[in-house]
Amino acid sequence: MKHLLLKLEPLIWLLFGQGILLGTLLLTGWVLILGIAAPLGIVAPLDFEQAHALASSFIGRVVLAGVIVLPLWKGAHHMRHVSIDMGGAERDTVVAPLLYAVALFGSVAGVIAVIRI
Amino acid sequence: MSRPAHPHAMQPKRPGRTRTAPPQLPPQFPMSGRYRAYTLFDWTGLIYLLLGFMALEIVWAVGSGPAAWAAITARFENPVYIAFHILAFVSVIFVGVRFFRFFPKSQPPRIGPVKPPPQPVILAGLYAAWIGVTAVFAFILSGGLSG
Repeated sequence: MKHLLLKLEPLIWLLFGQGILLGTLLLTGWVLILGIAAPLGIVAPLDFEQAHALASSFIGRVVLAGVIVLPLWKGAHHMRHVSIDMGGAERDTVVAPLLYAVALFGSVAGVIAVIRI
Repeated sequence: MSRPAHPHAMQPKRPGRTRTAPPQLPPQFPMSGRYRAYTLFDWTGLIYLLLGFMALEIVWAVGSGPAAWAAITARFENPVYIAFHILAFVSVIFVGVRFFRFFPKSQPPRIGPVKPPPQPVILAGLYAAWIGVTAVFAFILSGGLSG
């Protein structure tokens, strides 16, 4: 497992780095409007037709896939490092595959979610 | 008559293990001094992980129809969700500021034949992109395209 993780490290780092860079670029407006401003009534929430029209375009699907997938990999990789820093590297062979499996599951579900819109 | 000793005369038959001190965490770890920002930066991973799954839930609701969309927008009005999103917003800003400050310094001196722009230019570009993408997202998600 350690060998496999080392082989996958470049791919994981790519997703992690893009999770920080693109994830942060995308999530700021996303969280601000969908998570704070719309629920507090500062802006009118999108109705279903508006949301569906935005999400079902090609660009909408690509952006939504990015909003789902990239933060998951940023999160998984950073939580792996929290685990190493707080509990030692011995348990990394269990924690790392578990966290990356969660990110992979969410990524696959995210791709399915944007396809089925 | 004495003669000089062989250089390896006292060498053990088997080489000994190289002894190293066990690794120790610095006394300031995890929440004092410069380690505080480092630790908090790592813990934003949990927020991003949750945000990824919440985004998945939202997109899944769009694909499931008006009832699912109404249910999730109503759930997001719960104060617990709003509090989480305020924390998430602070986390995203923190990650952006910390990472964008670090990003220009991490560039190689050359990328093939091209030299990267000066660090302040890269930093300004990142902030311009961040503000621009956020403004466009905010405009679209608040119904700006729908008139």
